[in-house]
Amino acid sequence: MLKPEQMSRLLIVASKDQMAPVISELYRHHLFHIEDFVEAGAQGYEGFKIGTPLSGASEASGDLVKIRTIQNAFSIRSDDFEVKERQNQSALQGLIERELPAIEQEVEDFTGKRSKLDTKVKEYEQKIAEISPFVGIPGDLDLYRGYSNFVVFAGYVAKEVSVPGPHEMFFSKGKGKHFIVVIVPVGQRSVVEGVLQEAGYQAVPIPDESGDPQGRMNFYNEQIVLLKKETVEINRKLDGIKEKHAGFLVACEEILKVQVEKTEAPLRFATTNETFVAEGWVPSVSVETIRPALENATGGKIFFTVLPKDPEHDSVPVEYHNPSFAKPTQMLMDVYSRPKYTELDPTLTLSIVFPLFFGLILGDVGYGLILLAMCLVLRKYLKGEEGTQLLVVLRNASISSIIFGLLFGEFLGFALPWRPVIFSRHLNIGAHATGHGPQIPELMILAIWIGLLHITLGRVFGMINHARQDHGDHRTKAVMANFGWLLVMWGILVMIWSIVQMPYMPDFTKFPPVIMNLNIAAIIGAVMLVTGVLFIARDSGLELVELPTIISHVLSYSRIVAVGLSSVAIAMVVNYISIGMLIEPQLENITITGVLFIILGVAVFVIGQALNLALGILGSGLHSVRLHYVEFFTKFYKGGGKKYNPFGFNRRFTEDL
Amino acid sequence: MAAEVVAAVINDVELMKASQIGMKAIGAGLAVGLTGIASGIAEMAIGSAAVGATAENKDVFGLVLLLTVIPETIVIFGLVVALLLLF
Repeated sequence: MLKPEQMSRLLIVASKDQMAPVISELYRHHLFHIEDFVEAGAQGYEGFKIGTPLSGASEASGDLVKIRTIQNAFSIRSDDFEVKERQNQSALQGLIERELPAIEQEVEDFTGKRSKLDTKVKEYEQKIAEISPFVGIPGDLDLYRGYSNFVVFAGYVAKEVSVPGPHEMFFSKGKGKHFIVVIVPVGQRSVVEGVLQEAGYQAVPIPDESGDPQGRMNFYNEQIVLLKKETVEINRKLDGIKEKHAGFLVACEEILKVQVEKTEAPLRFATTNETFVAEGWVPSVSVETIRPALENATGGKIFFTVLPKDPEHDSVPVEYHNPSFAKPTQMLMDVYSRPKYTELDPTLTLSIVFPLFFGLILGDVGYGLILLAMCLVLRKYLKGEEGTQLLVVLRNASISSIIFGLLFGEFLGFALPWRPVIFSRHLNIGAHATGHGPQIPELMILAIWIGLLHITLGRVFGMINHARQDHGDHRTKAVMANFGWLLVMWGILVMIWSIVQMPYMPDFTKFPPVIMNLNIAAIIGAVMLVTGVLFIARDSGLELVELPTIISHVLSYSRIVAVGLSSVAIAMVVNYISIGMLIEPQLENITITGVLFIILGVAVFVIGQALNLALGILGSGLHSVRLHYVEFFTKFYKGGGKKYNPFGFNRRFTEDL
Repeated sequence: MAAEVVAAVINDVELMKASQIGMKAIGAGLAVGLTGIASGIAEMAIGSAAVGATAENKDVFGLVLLLTVIPETIVIFGLVVALLLLF
């Protein structure tokens, strides 16, 4: 809790003939995060070389490429694939050798044919486009070619033209541009060219066809229909192959992926002529599972030791270690940055506080229920790990907003039939709105309190982090500086309390003045402030320019109220327009136009509420996350830890018997 | 005579009250409207950079979405001021 999983650094040394069993044992356990061996400058590894892949590596990767090509052709993605039953690896391995080339050949044939047909269709479409202008002109297409004494002009002009001298001209009017064909004796060529140029002439190539243009076009259209039929047939056959082999293909992909990863693992080890050395990390709790497994697999011919670790200089991979209800929130942490190994992992606080903020902002039973239903439905369709995690986070948030909705007494912007249990957020919108109106000052104070506590927690975490990570003089200074920030914040507060009286805040105005009209509380506050500033300055003077952020960060929490109220306001306005203005007046005296107004009112209600719900989810989610990332994390959190990525893979479609 | 003067004064006071409420409403509207424009201008640059970054690397989507809403603070402060003015 609040700490990443403890890791141990392992060193495994064995002779090269034990490499294969060691690799497959490590792979099976899926726990060993390999530290890649880099030849250049590796300390203590002088004379070692990067290993060479095990036998069968290039065949396996060749087959993998083939399978992935076929999968692409079929657009099969193993993530979308339901696991029916796990297939036996050794049985499949035989099948890969026998069936894969045949399937590949078949698929290649069909896709090759399909692309040929596609080119043919394109070619014919091009021909149709060339012929189509000539359809309006009487005469066969071969009449346009083959003259030695005449010139044929065919093309588009912007306006009508009159050609001087002997000629034959056909003109078909179009929209904006007209098609023209002019046949003149060769001698007149330049004159006619000049006339046409003036009319904005654009030449059109004369199609290399013979016969009636309409007839040719019909012919090509028929051909295209036939070709398309053939394509459909091929697609149907390909679908048949897909249907038949999809399960086999994803299983093969998995097996080959495993094989490739295993056979290429030596590329990450250090080797000499006869031995290899693998270094890496495993969770400390699992060291004792790996040790006997490796010893069994190699018959004890292995050297296995836990190396001392130096958390600050080693790049220790980080794996979260959280109670199960907080696990989905790790996704929100990964969006920002994974914690470093030595750092506090704030996932747990995030998993509790995020839904609270979300609920406080959205706080509506209706919206909460809709969001909850959406999460439950979407769960069936979203398969990826991140997607499901996000849905669980949203589900928790929606439950929280239902609870806060009950407390605020809100349902889609309507008031529930009881007085708000905490503060009222109902606005007086509409003609017959009465009542108290929202308790804005009280809500604001609530938000400020939340901000103060959240930031204080952040600073306390900051003190812990610095105490853990820093050394010597700097450690004390950094811890004190964080304490200084707390002193300044609370000092300012105490001073404000001694001057102004506020609801739900301590009242120090009653104390008698001591000096300069300031009472004892104000003096204590001032002392806290000055001490705090000194503490901060002792660590780094430059930090002092950040002092105003104390106020802006606390005030930033007022968004919890403001964003929430704006969503209440939109909901109430939608309700007032749709029900108060459109539906209700018509219900008293129903007419045909009245029914139309009622339908309009229902439409406004549905669209408005849907829009507000979308805005509400986006706003509540983003602002809750933002309060964490910007206001909370900046106080203590750096992040940048390396992801724990153990060697191995959770098989879904196959099993190794 | 006296009654007329009293009536006129009451009338004036009511007028002043009404105009004060109007002024508050205008102030609240300005607070939200102007800060809204300011947030829009600020988010414009971030948004376009964010879209560019996402096009290059999809993984940063979550982060840039957040960066984009950071200037929203301005309009939220405007909204807070407006709410405090009105209620």
